[in-house]
Amino acid sequence: MVAEDLLLITGARRLVRLWALYGRMDLLFFARGPHTALPWYLSEVVVALAAVTATFLLAERFDDIGTWTRPQVYFLLGYALLVHGLIETFFSYNIAFISRRIGRGQLDHMFIEPLPLWMILLAEGFAPVGATSSLLPGVGLLLWAASQLHLAVGVAWWGLFLVNVVASMAVVLAFAFAWGSLAFWAPRAAEELNSSTYELSHQLAPFPLDGLSGIALASLVTVVPVGLVAWYPSRILLGLEAPPWAPALLPAAALAFVALATWIFRRGLRNYGRTGSTRYSDSGHRR
Amino acid sequence: MALRAYVKTAAMSAADVGENPLFLMDFALRLLRVLVLLALWRTLFAGREAPGVMPLATVLTYTVVAEVFSQQLAVSTTLSVAFWEGTLVLRFLRPMGLVRQFAAEMSGRWALHFALFSVPLVVAAPLLGVDPRPASPAAGALFVISLCLAVLVGLAIEVLFGAITVALEQPVWLVERARVAIATLLSGSLLPLALYPWGIGDVFSWLPFAAMAWAPLAIYTGTGQPLPRLGSQVLWAVVLWPLADWLWRANREKLVGYGG
Repeated sequence: MVAEDLLLITGARRLVRLWALYGRMDLLFFARGPHTALPWYLSEVVVALAAVTATFLLAERFDDIGTWTRPQVYFLLGYALLVHGLIETFFSYNIAFISRRIGRGQLDHMFIEPLPLWMILLAEGFAPVGATSSLLPGVGLLLWAASQLHLAVGVAWWGLFLVNVVASMAVVLAFAFAWGSLAFWAPRAAEELNSSTYELSHQLAPFPLDGLSGIALASLVTVVPVGLVAWYPSRILLGLEAPPWAPALLPAAALAFVALATWIFRRGLRNYGRTGSTRYSDSGHRR
Repeated sequence: MALRAYVKTAAMSAADVGENPLFLMDFALRLLRVLVLLALWRTLFAGREAPGVMPLATVLTYTVVAEVFSQQLAVSTTLSVAFWEGTLVLRFLRPMGLVRQFAAEMSGRWALHFALFSVPLVVAAPLLGVDPRPASPAAGALFVISLCLAVLVGLAIEVLFGAITVALEQPVWLVERARVAIATLLSGSLLPLALYPWGIGDVFSWLPFAAMAWAPLAIYTGTGQPLPRLGSQVLWAVVLWPLADWLWRANREKLVGYGG
């Protein structure tokens, strides 16, 4: 038991050291000068804001969207941006687009590092500077919405908020890893698969989904869980879901999605162990 | 003879799409987007007077037709891919015009997507409670002209942004992603510009991006007068093509860095 605790503590310390290292490298990229940093940052801001602007404009024009008041819609948009920003913070550099790393044969680069794979996946995508492009607007929008909604936020609410944000991130990543793992079996065909899964969660997350029919809505919280990225957790945090068990649904779903994604990813890894990457010819060219 | 070469290129490009069955994932995304938007409009318009010039039925038709012609209303060639892979030099070696090569490949991809997704979506539209027909036969005829102009303007913008990427020596996907994000908002391919608040839709409707999507879709749904929209499309095509051509030629030397 003591040995396990020690392992956990040393593992956590190592992870923090790696985050510091990757965070410094991210900062160095932006410190190369305005010619590199400005276009990159502005482009990321534009992409992040564009995803929520459509819903924002509709809320401005119509005052409300169904049962959602304008500040509640802002909360939804802020939440969606926050989840997106946190994923960008911790899982950039194609960790959240794992099909690219698998499809391009770049897992080999990870296997030669003297670290367990889970730690590499947690550390290598850390980009705290670049990700502020979506994180800051998300936090700003959330604070603005919260001030207009006069939310009574206590310790319990903050706890619920934290659990929901982590669960939403887990759902997005699990969905990406589950589909992205197809690249183990079809590296060329599935290399860009996570572009589609990313588009799905990025484009559809900022919409209130209340008006959808039963089957369509059920699909969007199970088969294609974009409803769990921002819509459902926002309903929970804003008190729009009445049943007492409702707050437990998202964490439970996140656990199920993570378990499924882990199972598929590990099966893919086993296959990879047998076949390796076929993307590069002996002379080093990509097929 | 020359035309045959482009038709053959288009056919090869169409076959290329079929090699990767995962393009069905894109169809799923597009269908979901339509379903979400249709539900959103119904929620928004429920118990409300028709705001401005577009009643609910018109907005629903607009949404479905925008998705049916989404590739034509948001023109995208494989220029960025050629930059990224450094294969532009191979294009220069072919006995075909550069832009025409890309356009031929693009139209090949369109054909397959149109047959497998757009046509079924039009057929299924009544099941979704949407009338996909144009506002009138005249609107349908003018839409065809407007769509051709939209593709022309879209191609000009594609070449222009390609040239800007090279001129500013920026990463390919950086410019591409920003352009797509801006175009989605300003072109009206996602939301009708008439529904934008504070009158900004009126301003956007005169910008070049609106000539790519808003103009043909507004004509199709009978929103506003068609002639000013067609006029603005012609104007942008006349302005943008010489500009794109000049910027492309002015930066040809820099293409070496992108494999040209």
